[in-house]
Amino acid sequence: MIAPVRERPECGAHRRRRLVQLGLNPGRWDYLVALAGNPNTGKSTVFNALTGLRQHTGNWPGKTVTRSEGAFLRGDHRVKVVDLPGTYSLQAGSADEEVARDFLLFGRPDITLVVVDATRLERNLNLALQILEISDRVVVCLNLMDEARRHGIAVDEKRLARELGVPVVATIARSGEGIDRLMQAVHDVATGEVETSPFRLATHLPEVERAVTALLPTIEEELPGLPNARWVALRLLNADERVEKAIRAGDIGEVGGGRVAAADPSPPPGAAAGRESVLAKASGLRWKLSGDFQESLMTGFYRASERIARAAEVRGLRKAGFDLDRALDQALTSRWTGFPVMLLVLTVVFWLTIAGANVPSSMLATLLVDQVHPWLSAAGAALSMPWWLSGFLFDGVYLATAWVVSVMLPPMAIFFPLFTLLEDFGYLPRVAFNLDGLFRRVGAHGKQALTMSMGFGCNAAGVVAARIIDSPRERLLAIVTNNFSLCNGRWPTQILIATIFIGAVAPAHLAGLVSATAVVGVAVLGVVFMLATSWLLSRTLLRGEASAFSLELPPYRPPRVLRTLYTSLIDRTLIVLWRAVVFAMPAGAVIWLISNVAVGDASLAEHFVRWSNPLGVLLGLNGVILLAYLVAIPANEIVIPTILMLTVLTLGIAGAGEGAGVMFELSSPADVGVLLAAGGWTLLTGVCLMLFSLLHNPCSTTLYTIYKETGSVKWTTVSALVPLGVGFVVCFLVAQTWRLVAGV
Amino acid sequence: MIDPGFALLVFAVVALCAAALLWPGKGLLGRALGAVRMTERVRIEDALKHIFNCEYLALPSTLESLAGGLRMRRSGAGRLVARLCELGLAEARGSAVSLTGPGRSYALRVVRTHRLWERYLADRTGVAQADWHAEAEVREHLMSEADTEALAARLGHPRFDPHGDPIPTARGDVPPRTGVPLAQLRPGAAARIVHLEDEPREIYEELLAEGLSPRMELRVTHVSPVGVRFLAQGRERVLAPIVAAGVTVEPAEDMVVPDTPPRTLADVKLGETGVVDRIAPACQGPAQRRLLDLGVVPGTRVRPVLRGAGGDPTAYEIRGATIALRREQASWVEIAGAATARRGDGEAAASEPGGEVAAPPLRNAGALPE
Repeated sequence: MIAPVRERPECGAHRRRRLVQLGLNPGRWDYLVALAGNPNTGKSTVFNALTGLRQHTGNWPGKTVTRSEGAFLRGDHRVKVVDLPGTYSLQAGSADEEVARDFLLFGRPDITLVVVDATRLERNLNLALQILEISDRVVVCLNLMDEARRHGIAVDEKRLARELGVPVVATIARSGEGIDRLMQAVHDVATGEVETSPFRLATHLPEVERAVTALLPTIEEELPGLPNARWVALRLLNADERVEKAIRAGDIGEVGGGRVAAADPSPPPGAAAGRESVLAKASGLRWKLSGDFQESLMTGFYRASERIARAAEVRGLRKAGFDLDRALDQALTSRWTGFPVMLLVLTVVFWLTIAGANVPSSMLATLLVDQVHPWLSAAGAALSMPWWLSGFLFDGVYLATAWVVSVMLPPMAIFFPLFTLLEDFGYLPRVAFNLDGLFRRVGAHGKQALTMSMGFGCNAAGVVAARIIDSPRERLLAIVTNNFSLCNGRWPTQILIATIFIGAVAPAHLAGLVSATAVVGVAVLGVVFMLATSWLLSRTLLRGEASAFSLELPPYRPPRVLRTLYTSLIDRTLIVLWRAVVFAMPAGAVIWLISNVAVGDASLAEHFVRWSNPLGVLLGLNGVILLAYLVAIPANEIVIPTILMLTVLTLGIAGAGEGAGVMFELSSPADVGVLLAAGGWTLLTGVCLMLFSLLHNPCSTTLYTIYKETGSVKWTTVSALVPLGVGFVVCFLVAQTWRLVAGV
Repeated sequence: MIDPGFALLVFAVVALCAAALLWPGKGLLGRALGAVRMTERVRIEDALKHIFNCEYLALPSTLESLAGGLRMRRSGAGRLVARLCELGLAEARGSAVSLTGPGRSYALRVVRTHRLWERYLADRTGVAQADWHAEAEVREHLMSEADTEALAARLGHPRFDPHGDPIPTARGDVPPRTGVPLAQLRPGAAARIVHLEDEPREIYEELLAEGLSPRMELRVTHVSPVGVRFLAQGRERVLAPIVAAGVTVEPAEDMVVPDTPPRTLADVKLGETGVVDRIAPACQGPAQRRLLDLGVVPGTRVRPVLRGAGGDPTAYEIRGATIALRREQASWVEIAGAATARRGDGEAAASEPGGEVAAPPLRNAGALPE
C-alpha cells in the first residue's frame, strides 16, 4: 500500500470535487501530471513512453481530442498522467483548447509536463510560456531531438532550462531515449526536491500595465494570498469566463499552481460582495483597453519565445542530406503530380481493401455461417429447445451477428491500418491541402476531404474524424454529408448487383470491366452528391461562408508499421465492429420475428412487403427491398441476405433458402440473379438498388455516432433525412424517366 | 402501374409547391412565421429599444419618432406607448416619451441581446454581413435572460458588436458614446472608424460596398455639401452626405494614413519572405485569434512555400511550421515593406547577429472597439 504523500487536508475535498467534475476518478495516485503541448509534437508518443500504454499516435494535428489517462511508478510514488489535446495556445476558444485549459486550471495537476518540439522551438515555447504564467510546477520535455539533429538543429538544454526557470529534459520518445530522466525530473519537482522559478512575461503594453496595476490592489485585498494575482488580473481583463466563475464561486485559490491554502470551502457571505467588487472593477477597466489587447499579449509571448529560442538553439549544423520534406511536398501537392498521385494512392487503398477482404471474408463466412450455425442449431435440438427459441437465438440473433462480423471485419482490418499508415506518414494533410479549393467553393473545409475518405471505410469513423475540423459550421457539414461516402458495408452489395445486372448487358469479355466501372461511378456520384449537398446546406440550414481555415502540414515521419497495425486494430476496427455487433443482434431478432410471426394468412414480413410494394415500384424498387433496408438500418451488410430470404418467403419458392427468417447467401452471383429474376427484378431494379444503396439513411451505428458527436437530435435527424430524401427523389426520377423512355 | 409521365408531372407540381412554401425567406412558411413572431412582446421590446437609442444619442424621442422607427401608424404608436406606461416601463409627457428605471434596464437587456447576436453571427456563422442586423432583430426577442448570458459566455464576453457599438454588460453598464460624424472632420484630419450605422439597410449596404469596417483608419481629403472624400486602405472613397452620416469616427491627430494599399501576405510571392506588420483591423473574433495563435504577430517572418493547385490555399512557413491559409485570410495579414521594416523596440532582434529584419514596433491604439 502506498500512502498518499501530498494531500493537504484543507483542500483535499475541494480538489476531489473538481476532479470528479472533470471526469477524473480521484483515486490511487500520489501525483497528477498533465501532459500539454502543441499539436504534432509527439506528445502522445511521450505519453506512451511514460505509461507503457499504446495510445494511437497520429501524425496529424488534433489527434488527441479526448483526454487519455495512464500511470507510472517512480520509487514509491504512483504518478498519474493525463494526456491533454494538443493546442497552440491557452487563449482561444476551440473545443480542444477548452479541454486542455480547463484541466490545467481546475484539475490542478501537481506537475504540468509541456512537450516541446525541438525542431520548432520558437513556436512551441509560446504555449510553454503561457503555461508558466499559470503554474510554477512545470517540467519541459524537449522532444524529437533526433528530428532536430536531422534538420541541423541542436538545442542547449541547460541554457533553455536557465531561461525558463524550470527543468528541461531532452528526449527521443520514439526510442525511449531520455524518458527515464524525464520521469526523474517530474518526480523531483513533484516532491519539491527541485525548486522552480518560472519565467514570467514582464512587459505588456503600457495601457495593459495601467489596467493591471489598477486592478491588482483590489484583487489582493479581496483575495489575499493568491499565487498568481497578476495572471488572474490579466485573465479578468480578457473577460475569461472560467476565471470569473471561479472568483464568483470563491475557489480561485484552486486555480493554477495552488501553492497556498485554497479558499475556505464555505466562504463567509461578506466575502462574496468583495469578490463581486473585483469583477465589477475589472469589467469597468475593460472598456478602457484597446481592441489590440489580445494581439499585443500574443506578440509579447511570441517575442519572448523568439528570444529564448534563439538563445538556446544552435542552428546551421550540417544537415543530413537534402531537404526531403520540401521535395516530397513539391511532388505531392504540385498541380501536375499532386492529383494523379492522390488518385493512385486512394485507388490502391480501396483496391487492396476490396480485393484483400474477399478471401478472409469468405473464410469467416464459411466458419461462422456454414459450420458454427448448423452446429448451434443441432446443439439446440439436442438440448430439446423449442423451435421458436432456437430459431430466435440462432437463426435470428446469431446469424445476423455472424454475417456482420464476416462481411465487416476483413475490409475494416485492411482499410483502417492502411489509412493510419498514410496518416502517420503525414500524407493525409496534403490531400486536404490539394482538395481544399474544391471544398472551399461549396462552403466546406478542406479537411472534409479526409472525413470523406475515411467514410469510404466506415461512415461512423468518418463522423468521428470530423473532430479534426475546428470550425463548428464546417464540422457539421462534414458530419451531415459523410453518408454520401460509399462505406465498406455497401461495397459488396454494389459489386454483386453490378455483376448480376450491369455486367449482364455488356459483352461477356467486358462484363467485369463494365460492372467495376459502374461501382466506381456510383462512388463518384456519391462524392458529387456530397459536394452538392454541402453547397446546398451552406445556403440553407447551415448558412454561411467558409470561415477561418488553417491546416498544418506536419513534417513527414516514417510510419511504424507494426505498432500502427496493432493500434489501428484496437482503436478503430474493434470499436466500430463492437458497435455494429451490438446493433446487429436486435436486427437479427427482428428479422426472424417478422418472418415467423403470422397475422391471418401471412407473416408480418409478407404483409409489409405487399403493403409497401406500390411505393417500391414507384421508386424502381420493390417491397422486399424497402423492408430489407428498414430492417437493415443497424447494418447494411445484411441487406443482400435479407433480400434473398424475403424473396423466397414472399414467393413461397419451395426448396430454395433455409426457411423463414433464416438469412442465406448463394455461392454464385448467377444463382442470385436467377432467384432475383424470379422475384421480378429487372435491370432498372438493379440500377435503382445501387442508387438507393448509396443514397439512403445512415446505419444506426453512424446515427448513434452522429448523435454522440453533435449532441443534437436535430442534426441527427437532418443527417438521416437528407440522404434518404435525396435517395427517394433520385430513384423516383430515374425509374419514371427510364419507363417513359423505354415505354415499359 | 402508374403512368410514368403522369408520375413525373405530379412530382413536378409537388416540388414547385414545396419550393413556394419553403423557399428561404420568401416562402409562404417564412412569411407566416414572420407574422406569428410579431407579437406584443416584440412590439414592446422594439419600442423600448427605439426610445433607448434616442436617449443614448441625446435625440428627442416622441410619438412621431416612435411611429417612424417602428413603421406603424401614429394611433398604433399611441396605443403602444399607453401600454408601456401601463407596464411601468415608460413615461409620456405630452408627445415626449422617456424610459423609467425598469424600462431602461429592460431596454438595455434587449440591446445587449441584439448586439451579442450580431457579434455571434459575425464571428461564428459566416452569415452575410448585410443580414446580421435583420437576423439579430428576430433572435433578440426569442431569448431568455439565461440564454443571453450563455451566449455572452460562449463568445468570451465581447465588448463591442461588429458595427463598433458597445455591448451593455449584464449589469447594464454601457460607456458614453464617443466619436464624431465623419462629415464633421476637416480636410487633412486622420481618424479611425468607431461605428457604422446598420439601419437603414440600403445605407449600410453602401458602406459595406465601400469596404468600410470599424477600426479602419482614414484621412479626409475633401468635404463639401455633396459628399465626403477620404483615403482609406490606400484608396480614395467618396460618400454622399446621407451615407457619410452613418459613419462615426474618432479623430487621431498623429496617425499616419498611408497613400497606397497595404501589401498583404497574399501578395508575397513563393519563396520570398514577408515580415508581418499587423493583422488588418477588419479581421476580428476567432479568425483573428486563430492567426495570433499560429504565431502571426507583428514582426513574424512568413514565407510562402507551396501554392495549391488553383492558387489557393497557400502553405506558409510560419515560425518553423508549415501552415496552409486561404487567400482571404492571407489578405488580412499586412506585410511591412522590406525597405521600410523599422528597427524598433523588438527584443526579438536585439541580440541577433547576422542582420535579421527587426520587428516593427507594436501599434498602440487608443480606446477602440475590438
